[in-house]
Amino acid sequence: MTSNRSGSLFGGVDRLTVLFYALIVLAGWVSIAAATYDETLPHLFSFAHFYMKQVVWIAVAAVVALFVLLLDDRYYHMWAYPAYIIGLLLLLSTLVIGKEINGAKAWISFGSFNVQPVEFAKIATALATARLMSEYTFNIARIGDLVKVGLLLCVPLLIIILQNDTGSGLVLGSFLIVLYREGLNKWLCILILLIASLFIASFLLSPLALLLLLVALCTFSEVMVSGQVRSRIIFVALLLLTAMLLMILSGLMFDEGLNFYYSLLIVSFVAAIGLAIYAFRFNLAHTFVTLIFFCGSVIFLLSVDRVFNALEPHQQKRILSFMGIINDPAGADYNVNQAKIAIGSGGLIGKGFLEGTQIKYGFVPERHTDFIFCTVGEEWGFLGTLTILSLFAALILRLIKMGERQEEPFGRIYCYCVASILLFHVLVNVGMTVGLMPVMGIPLPFMSYGGSSLIAFTILLFIAIRLDASTRHFALNKI
Amino acid sequence: MIDHTEGFFRMRTLQVVVLIIFVVLISRVAYIQFFNADYKRNAARNVMRVDVQYPPRGEIFDRRGEYLAQNRECYDLMVVYRDMDKEGFDTMRLCQILDMQPRRLKQRLNDARAYPRAPQRVANYVSKEEKLRLDAEGFRGFYTVSRTVRHYPLHVGGNLLGHLSEVSQGYLDRHPEYSKGDYAGIGGLESAYEEDLRGKKGVKIMERDPRGAIKGSYMDGLYDSLPESGRYLTSTIDARLQRLGEELMKGKVGAAVAIEPSTGEILMMVSSPTFDPEELVGRERGNNYIRHLNNKRNPMFNRAVKGKYPPGSTFKLVQGLIGLQEGVLKPSDLHPCHGGYKIGRGVACHAHASPADLRFAVATSCNAYFCYVFRDIIDNPKYGSVKKGYEVWYDYVKSFGFGRQLESDFLDENRGYVPTREFYDRVYRNSWNSLTVLSLSIGQGELGCTPLQMANLAAIIANRGYYYIPHIVKTVEGRDSLDRRFYEKQYTMVDSKHFEPIIEGMWQGVNVGGTSTQARLEGYDVCGKTGTAQNPRGRDHSTFLSFAPKDNPKIAISVYVENGGFGASAALPIASLLEELYLTDTIRRPELLKRIKEMNIYYPAYDK
Repeated sequence: MTSNRSGSLFGGVDRLTVLFYALIVLAGWVSIAAATYDETLPHLFSFAHFYMKQVVWIAVAAVVALFVLLLDDRYYHMWAYPAYIIGLLLLLSTLVIGKEINGAKAWISFGSFNVQPVEFAKIATALATARLMSEYTFNIARIGDLVKVGLLLCVPLLIIILQNDTGSGLVLGSFLIVLYREGLNKWLCILILLIASLFIASFLLSPLALLLLLVALCTFSEVMVSGQVRSRIIFVALLLLTAMLLMILSGLMFDEGLNFYYSLLIVSFVAAIGLAIYAFRFNLAHTFVTLIFFCGSVIFLLSVDRVFNALEPHQQKRILSFMGIINDPAGADYNVNQAKIAIGSGGLIGKGFLEGTQIKYGFVPERHTDFIFCTVGEEWGFLGTLTILSLFAALILRLIKMGERQEEPFGRIYCYCVASILLFHVLVNVGMTVGLMPVMGIPLPFMSYGGSSLIAFTILLFIAIRLDASTRHFALNKI
Repeated sequence: MIDHTEGFFRMRTLQVVVLIIFVVLISRVAYIQFFNADYKRNAARNVMRVDVQYPPRGEIFDRRGEYLAQNRECYDLMVVYRDMDKEGFDTMRLCQILDMQPRRLKQRLNDARAYPRAPQRVANYVSKEEKLRLDAEGFRGFYTVSRTVRHYPLHVGGNLLGHLSEVSQGYLDRHPEYSKGDYAGIGGLESAYEEDLRGKKGVKIMERDPRGAIKGSYMDGLYDSLPESGRYLTSTIDARLQRLGEELMKGKVGAAVAIEPSTGEILMMVSSPTFDPEELVGRERGNNYIRHLNNKRNPMFNRAVKGKYPPGSTFKLVQGLIGLQEGVLKPSDLHPCHGGYKIGRGVACHAHASPADLRFAVATSCNAYFCYVFRDIIDNPKYGSVKKGYEVWYDYVKSFGFGRQLESDFLDENRGYVPTREFYDRVYRNSWNSLTVLSLSIGQGELGCTPLQMANLAAIIANRGYYYIPHIVKTVEGRDSLDRRFYEKQYTMVDSKHFEPIIEGMWQGVNVGGTSTQARLEGYDVCGKTGTAQNPRGRDHSTFLSFAPKDNPKIAISVYVENGGFGASAALPIASLLEELYLTDTIRRPELLKRIKEMNIYYPAYDK
């Protein structure tokens, strides 16, 4: 590991990444100006304007970025654990001296300036994760090492949950990507993703639809492996027919017969037992695995259903609202609805700078912070949103590329951490404004108004650039 | 640790994952921005404030072109709760300007909170001066909407014109074309011609700026519409006559109706006591309304079309006409009368020369004479039985407009009451005869007529046998004609030739000698018939039915004064003075005028 000892100060800096960064920051600034422009203020350059304040933050961020680039890359390796400890202490201190904003006690306030320590804890955690996983003796396949990483991630997560700021905490979940890249068992990854998607799907679809979908999915995967189309189709048809027969019979025998969902559930379980015996006898491993997947999913879904019904109505409502099942414009859904209206009314080319009625008249809440994407959508239309999303996609892919070309695992892991964090933020933030994700109150990186968030993301990104710069320099020297 | 190939594979996988995520996000955004028009519509709805543009209501003129009901400029104060400055809002200042109770304002604002985006009315009847002061003050979230209210320069015709009231929930349910805060006519002309008078509302869609203040017109007024003012009406009412009628009826309870016989136009319609329609406009409206509602004499009850009274002796005219038509009576027939009709329970009569012929019996209002006539009609052997005979009589009476609605343009006309044969069958268990129902012969008993029906009877006699349905509107702006029913002659079942002796009797009663001599107007051949109706509520009701001149009648009038005593003592002078004004344009009997105006009748039944 070497730093850039060559004459030029920014020799190895990845210009493209910096360009993406600058463009996104610029777009954010324009959006903030549009979202908060207040014509009653005396003059254009008054610091009462949010966009003038943001200019200051951008300048500060630039200085910080410069500083990050100037530091020797070894320091980041060296300071990874101390930074992590400081980060934890900061997080803990918010529990005591923190200021509560929007129900989350996650802020430390210096006069009128509020800092969210979780922003900086993310950097520290990323560094510490990179440090831990890049140890020479580290092997993710070993349970002990996996537990270590798990602890490293779970301790800050726990504190953040204690702050009642679960949304920000879930960012650490995105480190699954890093773990996967570093060799975590792919089945474990798939399992976790499967559970997550089943969980979401269980709210989006009716039980019967889910069951049918699962049957179809499992049959399909089995067919893909075994190649026997005909017999499998006959099997599914028989399954459905039997279920129907059972429904009719039970209806004839009892006053309250079984409905189709329960008939199918019973029939498919009986069939699953029969199939299991068949698969065991004839040693059909893939059929067996598919069966286990099927039964596991069904059991999981049934238990989610049970747990959900045990929740308080308001909790149910909150979850359902996210799923779009309750459409109550004045209630829980109000913000999302207004956000969607803002984006949707933009059309292809948008309404133009300062012309977005949803934005400038304040129908969208938090329009310069968490919902800044609405401003882009309403005033610049699909062209704007496409540009922004493409920039983010390019930046994240670039980070992956930067990570891959690192010589040292430390740099690679760190780059992946940054990519995961950005991906999670973009997915959740944009997702919530378009109604794909629950409202979690996390900012859009580099664009949302606020010094603390902008500076933290800048540091996060520029450490990656710094690490990348020295590697390339070193590599060039070697040739 | 994983090897290089596996690492490369995993990198590719992750790149694909990232791409998929972004493709999903982009397609979702594209879906919202391209394929769903709801969002655009909702965004527009968010910034729009729909201001209703109220049309001026059609004004009402009397038959000579004088204003009966006029429009006056006035404003409603509206609030959009969301736009209000909750902290800095000076409640006291607003109350001071509007002269409003702070408690009431708070109540209104509380109501407005339920619909924070929709404009809600805080106050109505805001005057021009108050509006200017409000504008100068510039309360955030508040604005005024221009609308008109009624003004009644002559202060007459409360019940006749009806009044305007904010629509109730029940009204809204029945008339979905109205919306909350609209006014609609209640009673009288205002409700009968509501559809013509109300006009059409317009809208103006405004775009609001961030603070809820108006930025400009939405889409440059593309969706705006102008209000169409209501049609004006020319009423058949003669304002002079109406005013005099109301003055004369002051202090008495009853009604007076005058009709132009040749057209059926109602010249005057007084229900007494009445109220000044101006009292039901403006902020004092509520208090005045309650005051009138609590008044035992019930000034808001239009007795002229809704009151039901025994017609008394004026009904003898109908009796005589039916007798003549049926052939059981000849004008020269003589009947004796020595203090009354002595058969059965009998009917008393005042002292007059006997025997009397028809003309004299009408002029002197002989009770006994018409008892003979009535019995001759229904006991006519040609019909076989009393009951059949009664049914024939009943049909005659109905043809004079009694016991049914006349279908004038008043929506709430009373039918009056003429007992049916079945009614008597029920009451007397089938055993009754002409003597049982003898009081019908002199307009007593179960008979009930509205003053409008009685005035219509005067018009029928004046026209010698037919009438036009009485109505109060002459022309409606932009319409060639009224409903055709007002132009059709409604014939009675009595032939016009039979009217002469009756009219002769009425003429004699005024101009030769009889009960109505006070009603004489030199040169105008007034014909009249007094009535004195017994009633269970105290003194006799006083009524007078008249038309003039005898040939080519110009005015038919009926005056009914509850508990006024003899027909000649209260109702007759009122009718006579009204005729005098209408026919001669002046009044030459100032003492009589003064006496009648000051006449106050004591009503124990009302004023307990």
